[in-house]
Amino acid sequence: MKKIMHTLFLSCLKATELIEKKIHFGLSAKESLQLKMHKMMCDACSSYEKQSVFLEKGISLDERKEFSPDDLKKLKLAINEKLSEMK
Amino acid sequence: MPETNTYNLTEWVETYTDDLYSWALHKVSDAELASDMVQDTFLAAAEKLENFKGDSTPKTWLYAILNHKIIDHYRRKVRQPVRVENQVFSTFFDEGGDWKRERRPQKWGEEEEEHLLDDLEFRAVLKECLDALPEKWNTCVQLKYLMNKNGDEICKELDITPTNFWQIVHRAKLQLRNCVEENWFN
Repeated sequence: MKKIMHTLFLSCLKATELIEKKIHFGLSAKESLQLKMHKMMCDACSSYEKQSVFLEKGISLDERKEFSPDDLKKLKLAINEKLSEMK
Repeated sequence: MPETNTYNLTEWVETYTDDLYSWALHKVSDAELASDMVQDTFLAAAEKLENFKGDSTPKTWLYAILNHKIIDHYRRKVRQPVRVENQVFSTFFDEGGDWKRERRPQKWGEEEEEHLLDDLEFRAVLKECLDALPEKWNTCVQLKYLMNKNGDEICKELDITPTNFWQIVHRAKLQLRNCVEENWFN
């Protein structure tokens, strides 16, 4: 019985894989339907999808790091030194 | 410094280093690596200066060199042979592909989600969990945002198949999700 369910409505392993595919590439009509059916019966995978989308948002947040003017000055000096060595 | 070309590299260093550096840092999240890349960019520019025709601005030209180096960096990282990490799957799923009971995703309470991303403590947990991923997965998960590109373009850029890409992301996401749940929601 379980086997038939999995063939028709995917295992959770396969469903979560499709969720990632959906986020990054999109699904075919068949895959999309399969995933929808699976989620109707599976709370865990429904949560997974919401959380995965949420995490994507979190990862995408701009984490621009601060850097000091001193570091930049040093970097410029180092570059100019290297450049003059080339000549 | 004697000026050997019509284009004064020293002046470019003065003018463009800030922008190039913050761009590189944003893309690779590693100060030392970013400095090295900017340095290499100017060295490469010095070598190829005769190729600079002046039909783009110096800035565009330098960015093109730098971007090339950034992509190269990721390409090298991702190209390392793919290990099939099936033990990740056996951590989360039983043989039939169902969630193991203790690893089933719990509800997180969605009404909080929007504020959560403003919560610096939460962001710190997320960052720690990202850092805890195997390097290559971390790279793949972040790459999409680092390069402002969609999955297809990244695959082309990195010379990996889409299947490969989302399978890597899938494994990474399972671990990341679990890590965040354990360290924040429990």
